Amino acid sequence: MFILNPQSGTPIYRQLIEQVRRLVASGQLAAGAELPSVRELALEHAVNPMTISKAYTMLEAEGVLERQRGKPMTVAARDRAQAPRTHRLEQLEGQLDHLVLAARQLELTPEDLIKAIRRKWSDK
Amino acid sequence: MTAYLSARGLTKTFIGRPVLAGIDADVRPGDIVGLLGANGAGKSTLLEVLLGLSPASQGSARMFDSEAVVANVALKRRVGFVPQTDELIGELRGSEYLGLIASFYPSWDPALAQRLVAEWGLEPSKTIAKYSVGQRQKLAIISALAHRPDLLVLDEPVSSLDPLARRQFLQQIVELMADERRAVAFSSHIVSDVERLANVIWILKSGRLVWQGDLDALKESVVRVHAGGGSGGTVRVALRNVVAERHAGTATTLIAVRAPDEDWDDLEMRIGENARIEHLSLEEIFLELHA
Repeated sequence: MFILNPQSGTPIYRQLIEQVRRLVASGQLAAGAELPSVRELALEHAVNPMTISKAYTMLEAEGVLERQRGKPMTVAARDRAQAPRTHRLEQLEGQLDHLVLAARQLELTPEDLIKAIRRKWSDK
Repeated sequence: MTAYLSARGLTKTFIGRPVLAGIDADVRPGDIVGLLGANGAGKSTLLEVLLGLSPASQGSARMFDSEAVVANVALKRRVGFVPQTDELIGELRGSEYLGLIASFYPSWDPALAQRLVAEWGLEPSKTIAKYSVGQRQKLAIISALAHRPDLLVLDEPVSSLDPLARRQFLQQIVELMADERRAVAFSSHIVSDVERLANVIWILKSGRLVWQGDLDALKESVVRVHAGGGSGGTVRVALRNVVAERHAGTATTLIAVRAPDEDWDDLEMRIGENARIEHLSLEEIFLELHA
């Protein structure tokens, strides 16, 4: 369900957080969907269970996941998971930085970039 | 909660030669500590002194709140140790050896021992002298694991295991750590194993700990910046703590460690468009800290 690469420069808990956020945002993980237990994920990937619980706890604090005693972690109801627009935009901050930098290196203008984004957008 | 293992100003000298110098470190319940270091850095000595198997020359080594060298049997029973060179008895069969170890530990779990012997394909009726190096290593690990110790210490436990057996070993540690009162400390040259399991990393270099702390924090606070087109100057200004620098023509490579109060959120913007940031694997970080 998740692609975790322990040898990446990005810590495992961050990889997990980002993937859960994306799967939830895209609806691939719907409200109420159950996540694998900490133990299951830790065993499957042979990683420290604390790393998985750290990611789950942070996702819970963000309102993406919900925890009920003795039950698996579930995706929080839509209205709670649906963070304000600015918050959702913040999640793209890293990719935006990359995109803007790459565009500058290629000596493109913001208008070029916006046009290209609009074109991609209507393709989908 | 008190630390399971604790070093304060720990120094160890062998015949006047310092092997460990001024070590301050703790293994706390819930931790999986990964100990990295080049050959001869002092890893085995550090583990042995922490466990009280060898006295400290200066400073203190404590185990479960007792001075480590005088820890009583009840405390020692809470520890499982796999030394770098195993202490198996060649004349015994695998099953006889496990029976002997079991007799020392009231908490021995025969079902667990049996399951591991089966899963790891050990031949219990064979004499240990006829075991391969890998089989010896498996037997040593089982005898340290099967009494379900609160603290498991392993010195290069998997150097002779194949990838399959190593993965089973890692999963066994995950199982053990389901109980958060437990702790594990292990040294290994297989950095990718350490990277999977450890939440705390100790990097030992010539008897000194050059890094100790959270693995995630380590990854988030070390970067390699590739500065092209003569942008090395701009990059150097943007980074407070540059620990290494290499030049090749107009290109500069810098290794930086983030200062505790340094903000790297907008680092990419500050270093300019001619430089790229690379986040590093644990192995790369280890190598850079030894460069």
